[in-house]
Amino acid sequence: MSYLFRKLAQTNPKNRIHDAQIFVISCRKLSIVPSLYDGEQDPAPKFFSSNVQVMLKRLTRPDYNKVFRKRTNQGLTILKTPSYKFLTNEELEVELANAKKKAEKLLQMPPVVKIQKHIDDVLSKDPALIGYDTAKYLFTDITFGVANEHRFIIERDPDGILRSCDHDVRKRLNQTYFPMNGRKLREPLMFTDQEKLYSLLDREKYEFVLDRACVQYEPDEPSYQKITSITYQHIDTLSKYELLRSTRHFGPLVFYLTWHQSIDNLILELLQNSAVRDAVLLTALRQDLHGDVVNGESLPSLVHQVLATPIQLTKPECLTEEDIQLDSKCLKCIEKYIKTNSSMKSQQELALQGFRENYKQLIELSRGLQKAHGKA
Amino acid sequence: MSLPPASGTGRYFARAAKSIRLIRHGCTNRPFFHISVTQRKRTNAQPVIEQLGSYDPMPNVNNEKLVALNLERIKYWLGKGAHVSTPVAELFGLAGFFPIHPRSYMTAWRNRRTERENLAKLENEKAKETTA
Repeated sequence: MSYLFRKLAQTNPKNRIHDAQIFVISCRKLSIVPSLYDGEQDPAPKFFSSNVQVMLKRLTRPDYNKVFRKRTNQGLTILKTPSYKFLTNEELEVELANAKKKAEKLLQMPPVVKIQKHIDDVLSKDPALIGYDTAKYLFTDITFGVANEHRFIIERDPDGILRSCDHDVRKRLNQTYFPMNGRKLREPLMFTDQEKLYSLLDREKYEFVLDRACVQYEPDEPSYQKITSITYQHIDTLSKYELLRSTRHFGPLVFYLTWHQSIDNLILELLQNSAVRDAVLLTALRQDLHGDVVNGESLPSLVHQVLATPIQLTKPECLTEEDIQLDSKCLKCIEKYIKTNSSMKSQQELALQGFRENYKQLIELSRGLQKAHGKA
Repeated sequence: MSLPPASGTGRYFARAAKSIRLIRHGCTNRPFFHISVTQRKRTNAQPVIEQLGSYDPMPNVNNEKLVALNLERIKYWLGKGAHVSTPVAELFGLAGFFPIHPRSYMTAWRNRRTERENLAKLENEKAKETTA
């Protein structure tokens, strides 16, 4: 956009746009400062701990219609016709279990790890080799059956020093000799060109960006963490969480927001969609990572109760007494959280108030129904 | 022309002498070498026993020369008593797999000498220009 304006200003002398004006236009974009996992603390042990994984998977709220949707027909010459079968109950259960396994595989989260360190490992110094060649020699061990990260890749510099290669060279050579499907030798323009990345984000192609970043980069690369961080923050500012739900990127998104202490917007969205239980899970996650939630000791038992209930994809239409009890507990917990820990108090309280009113009606309705059925 | 498999198509005689050498596979003005093990009496145009790596002598855009070595198989053939040709031994030396070949030191030393001479020549010319 700004480029177009500048072009106009250059080509048409009558159309005079002042420099200041051009500057304002070019700065119109959201300027997001990416924050990486480069601090003292390593996120990996927390991310891979079983209770955090369970919570993240639960917060993903997998909707199988979305998980198994057709994304492209690339590679399929002919579209398969769906097959319909008559199944007994037992056979149906088996099929459902298979589908669940497949979904788990599709929803496996990309790992969240600390940023990589430079490899600075000098193997030998031989000043007598200075002047042997003006080019570097890169040696790759292509022995069969060695993993990419364990492969010997070393370089002989023109000054006679033999050293291990750094990560970028290692990645390039691994890709040269053992190409990975979908990964490009040169970084795609959508990642290197800021303008192109932001145009994708503005069109809400979050999943595409994240999927491609997953293929192109390793999870501990700075560029991967930079791009995902920008994407997550973009989603967070626009509250477009729904686009990533039931994809494998939702877990890392939640983890990122919690790790960098900015879950308030997500909690607001959850409350507005009356998912109090998920909000409780989120506070429990914060307690797990930072331990700064008031009365955090009571959270694990509540989380245990919440995890025992089935996932609510839509708003419930009828409530049992246990549901009401659990939800009231969750409500109390969230109220406390908003009072003490939240930085968006007024908005969240408003959302909570709206939820409460809705919920009251729902309770009355379900109790009335029970009475009408003669069960209460 | 499709390339033979890395396991090679050359006939294998257990007792005959083997040699690990560079086999030129590029085209005109574009050298590219396979590092292969072959019977010592065979010419480079004949089928090899096994390919052990590759060597690209032309620097790429980043000014690097790429060498690939299948160290496991190289060790196997060395254990079988294969002879190593000088250019390959030089590469192994640079990779830190062998001790550095004397010819590498010689080349380095000669290159340094020519560079020194060129510099001296340039300085002489400059001195002449300033005096004249």
